[in-house]
Amino acid sequence: MTLLKQEWKMNFKSLLIWTLCVGICCSGCILMFESLEDSMAEMGQMFAEMGSFSAAFGMDKMSIATLTGFYATEISIIFLLGGAMFAAMTGAVLLSKEEEGHTMEFLHTMPVSRSYIYLWKYVTLLLLIMVFNVVCIGLDVVAYVAIGEEITMAEFVEYHLLALVMQIEIGSICYLISAVCRHKQIGLALGIAVLFYVMDIMCNIMPDLEFLKYFTPYYYANAAQIYSGGDSRMGLMFLGLAVTVVVVILGGVVYHKRDMSA
Amino acid sequence: MAHIIEINNVTKTYGKHRGVDDISFAVEEGDIFAFLGPNGAGKSTAIRSMLGMLQYEGNIRILGMDARTQKTEILKEVGYMPSESMFYPTMKVKDVICFAADMHKKDCSEEAVRLCETLQVDTGKKIQELSLGNRKKVSIVCAMQHQPKLLILDEPTSGLDPLMQDSFFRLLQEANKKGTTCFLSSHVLSEVKKYCRNAAIIKEGKILKVDTVENLSRTNLRMVKVWKDGREEHFTHDGPISALIHKLSAMEPEDVLIEEPSLEEIFMQYYD
Repeated sequence: MTLLKQEWKMNFKSLLIWTLCVGICCSGCILMFESLEDSMAEMGQMFAEMGSFSAAFGMDKMSIATLTGFYATEISIIFLLGGAMFAAMTGAVLLSKEEEGHTMEFLHTMPVSRSYIYLWKYVTLLLLIMVFNVVCIGLDVVAYVAIGEEITMAEFVEYHLLALVMQIEIGSICYLISAVCRHKQIGLALGIAVLFYVMDIMCNIMPDLEFLKYFTPYYYANAAQIYSGGDSRMGLMFLGLAVTVVVVILGGVVYHKRDMSA
Repeated sequence: MAHIIEINNVTKTYGKHRGVDDISFAVEEGDIFAFLGPNGAGKSTAIRSMLGMLQYEGNIRILGMDARTQKTEILKEVGYMPSESMFYPTMKVKDVICFAADMHKKDCSEEAVRLCETLQVDTGKKIQELSLGNRKKVSIVCAMQHQPKLLILDEPTSGLDPLMQDSFFRLLQEANKKGTTCFLSSHVLSEVKKYCRNAAIIKEGKILKVDTVENLSRTNLRMVKVWKDGREEHFTHDGPISALIHKLSAMEPEDVLIEEPSLEEIFMQYYD
């Protein structure tokens, strides 16, 4: 618990910045929708007829002329990318910052095991991701209420649950990197978050690359698919959860065994 | 007397590079033990192995416990001060001290205040505002506030001004009188001679000698100054005095001065 409090304090600023940036962007877009509604009708028609491009962003399934469509195809991308980047960056830094900042000797000579350090730092990662999600979702709800629109609750909850699992999966993969590397791999972490997104776009556009859906967590958290009532992708979510469990265990094993550099 | 540290045949390599090679020595309870060696000799590798930060071959027992399997139990009774003394830069000194105490699950506030007053630590400052010397002081407080049974100090006085070095050794001696065993690596031989009872010398990963500081200082080595034909000549002699007398008589000097070497000069022999 002491370590959780400590990590919470150290990561609070980053959490605040990312949460406010992503949360305000998403809720701002919801608030702006009313004023954009007229032009969106025309644009929605145009986007829906753009073939592969429409498919890539889910606009073949939903029209951006409606708030639900706009939320599922546009706002969700801001939230998914922002959330994935935050989770990736936080996960990649939590363990390796101790070796890079030479604080490893201070932390690892406290009377706690490496498993304690590994687990409590992972709990911090989960907590930070959850708070990020709760605040962003809260801001979205406030924006919906402010413009007097009704939330389609079942889809909204399903989408945000899947987005949470996706962020945890990406954060966990980067946490494994943090357990293995002696230096903070922020660039690599952000690269992973973006690469998975590109993989999602590619497998939506090109049928030959459909197999990529097994690798990218964006695929099962695709809001357009959820809001349009498409096939359930829960199976892939469970695959994502399995990947999360495997990388967390693998990271723990590596972290437990490896030498710590001063 | 019981051994508080027992290191038996410990070897640590970093890929092809040597860390320590089959080292063995023991530290008695209540001792102030010096660990001497030049840079890169393997002092920090040995210390980090003792503290469970490195995987190694061989056996290390600290306070009668296995350093590999009972690391957490050992660290409850150990205070460690690393040579670099790095902390989280954005934290305040008081938060760092409090964090260390919380991790030990002990209320160390009284002892922390006493140590901070003795070492003149400004607890309101942020770590990033501190010099190396002041970070060292924070490190001393973190290592000593929970009143450990064993203090492991890696080059503790580097960066401290002479006045603070004096205060630090007073604290160390106080703790030692109360029963704390001290294990310190150092380059400063004057402080080793003044405060330590036993010492081990390590060079290129191997232990060269383990003995009392007094015995290590005692040697056949002599510094010899010879004057002949208005010229002065210096040399060292290591061996029986009779051999030196033969050598000197063959030289037929006008005058001669034979001195015992200083501790520094003795250790330089091991270092070279």
